[in-house]
Amino acid sequence: MKKMNVRIQRFDPHQDEKPHYQTYLVEVNEGARVLHVLHAIHDEIDPTLSYRWCCGSGQCGSCAVRVNGEPVLACMEEARDGMTIEPLKLPVKKDLIVDLEPALEALSHLEPGDKPAMPSKEEVELIKPLRSCIECLACVSVCPAMDVTSFAGPTAMRQNLRLALDPRDSKDRVTDAVSKGLFTCTSCQACWKVCPKDIQLPGKAIEKLRSLANRKGLTLPRHQEVEKLVRETGRSVTRTEPTFMEQVGEVIEPYGPVKATVGFFVGCMYNQRLPQTALDAMEVLRRNGIRVIIPKEQVCCGSPLIRTGQWDYLDTLKRRNIDAFVFRNIDTVLTMCAGCGSTLKNDYRTPFRVLDINELLTKYGIEPPARLPLKATYHDPCHLMRGQGIRDLPRELITQVVDLVEMPAICCGSGGGVRSGVPEEAAALAEKRREEIEKTGADIVVSSCPFCEFHIMEHTDRPVKNITTLLLEGYREKDKKKAEKAV
Amino acid sequence: MRSAEVLDCHVLVVGSGGAGVRAAIEASGYGETVLVSKTLTGKGGCTTMAEGGYNAVLREQDSCEIHFEDTMKGGAYLNDPDLVRILVDEAPKRIDDLLQWGAVFDVTDCCEVAQRPFGGQRFPRTCYAGDRTGHEMMATLVERLAGTDVDVMNEVCALDLLKDGDRVLGAVGLTEKDELVAIRADSTVLATGGGTRIYDISTNSSSGTGDGFAIGYRAGAELIDMEMVQFHPTGAVYPYDARGRLITEAVRGEGGVLKNSLGERFMNRYDPERMELSTRDVVSRAIATEILEGRCTGHGGVYLDVTHLPRQQIEEKLPVMLEQFLKFGVDIREEPMEVAPTAHHMMGGHRITENGETTISGLYACGEVAGGVHGANRLGGNALADTQVFGKRAGEAAGKSGKKSGRIDQRAMDAQEARLSAFFDGEVVPSTVARSLRTAMWEGAGIFRTAKELEKTLGVINHLSSLRLKASGRSNLAECCILQNMLTTASLVVKGALIRKESRGAHVRKDVTQTWDPQTSPYGHSYQSLTQSGIETGVKA
Repeated sequence: MKKMNVRIQRFDPHQDEKPHYQTYLVEVNEGARVLHVLHAIHDEIDPTLSYRWCCGSGQCGSCAVRVNGEPVLACMEEARDGMTIEPLKLPVKKDLIVDLEPALEALSHLEPGDKPAMPSKEEVELIKPLRSCIECLACVSVCPAMDVTSFAGPTAMRQNLRLALDPRDSKDRVTDAVSKGLFTCTSCQACWKVCPKDIQLPGKAIEKLRSLANRKGLTLPRHQEVEKLVRETGRSVTRTEPTFMEQVGEVIEPYGPVKATVGFFVGCMYNQRLPQTALDAMEVLRRNGIRVIIPKEQVCCGSPLIRTGQWDYLDTLKRRNIDAFVFRNIDTVLTMCAGCGSTLKNDYRTPFRVLDINELLTKYGIEPPARLPLKATYHDPCHLMRGQGIRDLPRELITQVVDLVEMPAICCGSGGGVRSGVPEEAAALAEKRREEIEKTGADIVVSSCPFCEFHIMEHTDRPVKNITTLLLEGYREKDKKKAEKAV
Repeated sequence: MRSAEVLDCHVLVVGSGGAGVRAAIEASGYGETVLVSKTLTGKGGCTTMAEGGYNAVLREQDSCEIHFEDTMKGGAYLNDPDLVRILVDEAPKRIDDLLQWGAVFDVTDCCEVAQRPFGGQRFPRTCYAGDRTGHEMMATLVERLAGTDVDVMNEVCALDLLKDGDRVLGAVGLTEKDELVAIRADSTVLATGGGTRIYDISTNSSSGTGDGFAIGYRAGAELIDMEMVQFHPTGAVYPYDARGRLITEAVRGEGGVLKNSLGERFMNRYDPERMELSTRDVVSRAIATEILEGRCTGHGGVYLDVTHLPRQQIEEKLPVMLEQFLKFGVDIREEPMEVAPTAHHMMGGHRITENGETTISGLYACGEVAGGVHGANRLGGNALADTQVFGKRAGEAAGKSGKKSGRIDQRAMDAQEARLSAFFDGEVVPSTVARSLRTAMWEGAGIFRTAKELEKTLGVINHLSSLRLKASGRSNLAECCILQNMLTTASLVVKGALIRKESRGAHVRKDVTQTWDPQTSPYGHSYQSLTQSGIETGVKA
């Protein structure tokens, strides 16, 4: 047996005006789950504690709660000393019990045709991964889009796709999905990361549904324009000034000895809209011994088309990009756009290694920059934190230059084609970002994704800087101090 | 005083597992139907946890006759042959319903529903959706239910049946807001599932508390074979607080082997012919014996090993098992599981006719709360089939039964009020009583039984039943009522075990020596009601 302290959010609508926290010291056996801690409290200490559970083995989805802020199934998550247990972010009925019924009732159900044809083995294999959903609604509880716009939510989309793929169903689930907000998903992947069944909702459900919508001609006009632009120019955005690639040669040599050589996948945003940021990054790489090769025939990675379900032209883009690096025998490709990095890592099969710039810089180590007297907050790009699992590395770099104040990691609203397709939603999400930025009292906002940077810039009065620009400013400060000393 | 809401309907279904939802779907074709669920429909009950599969004769090489024989033999010939005949004949039709409604079972390359071997069966006739078969069925049923007019009342705990003379006229429940609700119904279907949560080690979900046995018994219905409790051979032993969690028979169906701490495949000492795929009663006793004789693992179980199987087979056919064990720190592709028997299924229950009618008018029962289908030991894969076959029959019969007059007796409602109010003045919290009950049942009415131990256990149950249960708040009222149901169910199990002075199927009386085998047993069903109890006798043909 072992003892642990836990803190639990309590709320009784009959008595309390608002939720409060209560701390308990409980005794459980080795390997106990969160659910067993709740049982122990209920059975031994406080019978009034209310929580929902049924199967106790991860199959019914009744007991999802938040542990230290993260949604988990209480019956499967190992209990830890000092944990805080709260209800999912859904309407609370009592203590840890939330109202699941409205979202469950809103799910579409199969409506068989007159002579339903059984699905083939291939169709069964497609449907099965979507079918393992236990409807715990952890995904619904974390979806940022549902907070600001009319969106039926991740699992409703999963269910619509499951029905769309089933020949026994007689209804048009794709059009229905569009009307339920299919194009409001920002691809932030929060839903996937909390799914106890690891259902890849944005990639396997929402993007797939969007591709089916594309075949029905339901793609949003703004998204169609992006596709047209990619086909015509190889780029998903127009240029507003001389591009990054026009300003550099094919090889950028470092100032000192070469620690590593990488190919640089620039991405549309840094090439066409934010070339100065990419130039800043090159300067940081030069100071840190990284030799950079920039194949000029590279094109858009295809992410804007993948996220919006326009898949016809993808293979061409993929082949051109892969060839551009393979022809130069490049074994490591650098990305500094979180979206491109996530796409190359997850949607491509590349014969080379792909490294985000945060990985590259921490892998080879950087020359220490000078500290700047600023307080910064960091915005986690969804495609870096969730798409590539990179959370700590940017913080390691940032804290070498400035003090860091954390804020909750929430989508800024720019992804998934939402900025172009549903601008009012993108603005509403950015407004929530602005509020969080305000709360931190930070002087600057740092991020590591051109879409996030560009979008947040429009919604905050604080300067928004790429992580490499911040590093470069640290180096310039260092150079300045050195020069002053010399004088 | 709480004000009791009164609802009126044609058919009331109590219970939201596979049988209850199937009954409600069927009944809704005949009139207004209300489904009362203690949990959220689709999440509670044990169907959704059922992993392995659904037995149905689908291939030319198989036959209903063989399925019938396997089921009777597996059930130690205590099954009602007429009910078994219906089960095997209609299981294929009912799986067809599920397929029409969108169920996604695994299929073969020829697009037929795939089947795997299960214990005690001479043909691989267990249909499956990976190892989440029950979940797939519930998902399908809940979707279908959503397409009907059934009025679903979630998180309402049925407290008792309401009666008009000898006839059942609905039920009284406690809503999630802790208010009484009376539901007047022409017909009432009990589909509350089983009750092995009366044991310390059990596979059952939170709802497996025997409510339907107790509620029906209090209303005067007769229950049979309540001593027949199936101990599933393979329950988890670690983590201790999650002990009893089901490890599906599909693990053995896919080729998993059992070994003791000496590395011996001990099943060759107990059933060399069928080995790990012997019937559950045999395998459970074998494992229990190995453990009792000291050949057990560190956590007090035996090994269940699939490491010799191709990794892909484990990943595709046993994904839930793989995922669960990984969560608990064991990669079953690399190392064996540790398992021990766990209380799993109640073969006994309400005595029913072919249409699910119980022994009292206006009351039907289906699924695990009904008895007679599985005899003294249930075959793996027959329970899911049972839910669909008899759920449909009970729902249909209840739906077809006529309109009935009769009003709810206010005195019955007042009595419920009084029952609830008394809990506020009680002395002992239900969880304390539940723990004592579970321990006593596991020790005294488990796999191996003697009259002496059973009497002692009955003494404990009687003592616990005399305690005044205490509700610390409104939210504990349902808990108190449920605990009373558990005590009643436990007492029925123990009394049944005392009545049956023979070893048969899952019921082993170590203090009885007998000269007969199951087929020639002089005994039939044990039976218990408020007015009579005993055992049917007469040597069978």
